[in-house]
Amino acid sequence: MSDVIAPPSVKALAREKGIDLEKLAKELGRTSIAREDLDGKSKPAPAGDISYWDVDHSAFGPVSEEPMSRFAQIASANLAAANTLIPQVTHHDRANVTAIEALRKELKSESQVRGVKLTALAFQVKALARALREFPRFNASISADVKTLILKDYVHIGIAVDTAHGLMVPVIRDADKKGLWQIGAEITDLASRAQARKIGPDEMGGASMSISNLGGIGGTAFTPIVNPPEVAILGITKTETVTVWDGDTPRPLPMVPLDLSYDHRVINGAEAARFMTYLAGLIADPRRIMV
Amino acid sequence: MAENHAPFIVLGAGPGGYACAFRAADLGLDVTLVDPRASLGGVCLNEGCIPSKTLLHAAEVIREAAHMDDWGIGFAKPKIDLDALRAKKDDIVGQLTGGLGGLAKRRKVTVVRGTAKFTDANSLEIDGKSWSFDKAVIAVGSAPVQLPGWPEDDRIWNSTAALELRNVPKRLAIVGGGIIGLEMATVYSTLGSDVTVIEFMDQIAPGADAEAVKILAAALEGQGVTLHTATKVAEVAATKAALSLSCEGIFEGTIKADAIIQAVGRRSNGAKVSPENAGVTMDERGIIAIDDSCRTNVDGIFAIGDVTGNPMLAHRATHQGHVVAEVAAGHASALDTDLIPSVAYTSPELAWAGLTQAQAKDAGTPHKVASFPWAASGRNLASGGGDGLTKIVYEPESHRVLGATLVGRNAGELLAELVLAMEMSATLEDIALTVHAHPTLSETVAFASERALGTLTDL
Repeated sequence: MSDVIAPPSVKALAREKGIDLEKLAKELGRTSIAREDLDGKSKPAPAGDISYWDVDHSAFGPVSEEPMSRFAQIASANLAAANTLIPQVTHHDRANVTAIEALRKELKSESQVRGVKLTALAFQVKALARALREFPRFNASISADVKTLILKDYVHIGIAVDTAHGLMVPVIRDADKKGLWQIGAEITDLASRAQARKIGPDEMGGASMSISNLGGIGGTAFTPIVNPPEVAILGITKTETVTVWDGDTPRPLPMVPLDLSYDHRVINGAEAARFMTYLAGLIADPRRIMV
Repeated sequence: MAENHAPFIVLGAGPGGYACAFRAADLGLDVTLVDPRASLGGVCLNEGCIPSKTLLHAAEVIREAAHMDDWGIGFAKPKIDLDALRAKKDDIVGQLTGGLGGLAKRRKVTVVRGTAKFTDANSLEIDGKSWSFDKAVIAVGSAPVQLPGWPEDDRIWNSTAALELRNVPKRLAIVGGGIIGLEMATVYSTLGSDVTVIEFMDQIAPGADAEAVKILAAALEGQGVTLHTATKVAEVAATKAALSLSCEGIFEGTIKADAIIQAVGRRSNGAKVSPENAGVTMDERGIIAIDDSCRTNVDGIFAIGDVTGNPMLAHRATHQGHVVAEVAAGHASALDTDLIPSVAYTSPELAWAGLTQAQAKDAGTPHKVASFPWAASGRNLASGGGDGLTKIVYEPESHRVLGATLVGRNAGELLAELVLAMEMSATLEDIALTVHAHPTLSETVAFASERALGTLTDL
């Protein structure tokens, strides 16, 4: 008798179709087979065989254990699914932030008066919102049955926030319609409330795209994972003054590295390159966000 | 050139053979069914399952009526007209076998009365007439084992003779405490015989769960049956006055009897069709080797039922018969389950399938046991049932059911739920969460599951 769990009717159908249930179960990484699995469309389990991960680590030295919170467990499953099920490509570029830095300096005193911190991230949110209006396929989602592309006529930007209890992504709604002061204020508010775990469920989800900003920490590039059902994510690392050749002249310019991971089912490489060129242009010359 | 040709020929019209023939006809094959008996149905219908159940029912009614004394309802001692009882049994058998004949006719199955023997891999002889065939199915069943060295005496019966109900012997010895022996003990003790069962193994119903068997043994003893286990019959002597059985083992001594039933098992009839002429592999016990699709080693020749070995049970043969018909008609079909239920139609009934606790232990299979005593079943008590038990062997991690044994009224019927549970890989949770009607005996299956899960409130 086979070790695969399957009702007699499924065993009979498998035999009629010439399907080896043991083999199929192994391929799918499963212990049980259902009728639906016999149509040949079932995919292997995302994780495959991970039994070799199950190691007694204490055999190699002292260890301690920390239970993963329910939040962390859910995030873990979602990340694994996103990384496995979405064919992702990461496109790297950089943008000159000379103008943005100058503007921020100019607005410093007003910033103090208003009590609103105008970070570089606020500009990047604004620029991304504008770019999404120009490139609607980046502001889209694939339907669950993978038969329809849903294009969104709104622009909400998710901001990944690193908190003590894990990653949270609150969302700035209608970022394309909001001014920099408001965006700056919302970023500060959402980030601090995320730290305190006081973000309502309605303040997360429904984003057009998300930004993962490591600029305040460091790094020269990374490959963020798309946060489905979004189809792209923008990673930002630390602005650095680098040598940029202006014709024959080397110039020291503050450049921010930008990393765009995208769902290749929706976006192709040329589109991504055009999008990033456009976005870098908006960041380099923020006046163009308005025109 | 053979005198006759059969594209698909089935040898033996027992529950395996006729099921095979009928299914094959339904699938469009041109079917010939061969059997030496005048009526279809084989041992099962003619001298096995059905006649024994008829007599067991009669016995049940007698016993039940007697039990009603406790309830304030007294019946006079029953008048038993053996001839009428035998006639009733024959009538029921006739009804069923006649029905089979009709089913064969309706399906245009050619029925040939006779005894077949293979002459080579493509031909056989039926009572002197030569037949060629494309595909053949050996379904010739089994016959009671005849112990060697016993005297020739018409007071020594096999199961077939016992079911003929020749008379009700005053003292009846039954050699063999398996299902057939115990059923005969149930019938004859109720009809008035003083019955002694002698079993070689250390329990009656060898192979069944020991705890359940204990309940059955106590019930049989309550019915006046004497049980000697781990006892061997060394010698049988026949005198005009009586038969005497010299016993060795836990019981040492001589048992005097007016009749003996030999019920020490059944032997394959495989050799009777001379399969060796066709090149079919058969062992010294007459068992023909088959694969999951009941193919023998010879292309185009299949074997089903008792000739393929244990368990020699009608329902296994029936399923094999269907498999062969489907394979012959070009389908991929097989019987790849070990879950063949066993039922002793004693009073109480004993029924089991899958792993017993002892088998799981011997095989080192991780297991736990859940049980529910029928003394706590409302329906059992309300319908005058005695002691009973529902016992489930399950896998400790997944809670999947590995085996089940029931002893009690209708245990044979109740077992079906657990066999289905095993085939569907159901867990104790699946059973416990299935709503069982109250009050029923079937509740005991749910209760046993709940007991294992800690959710039972009826105990």
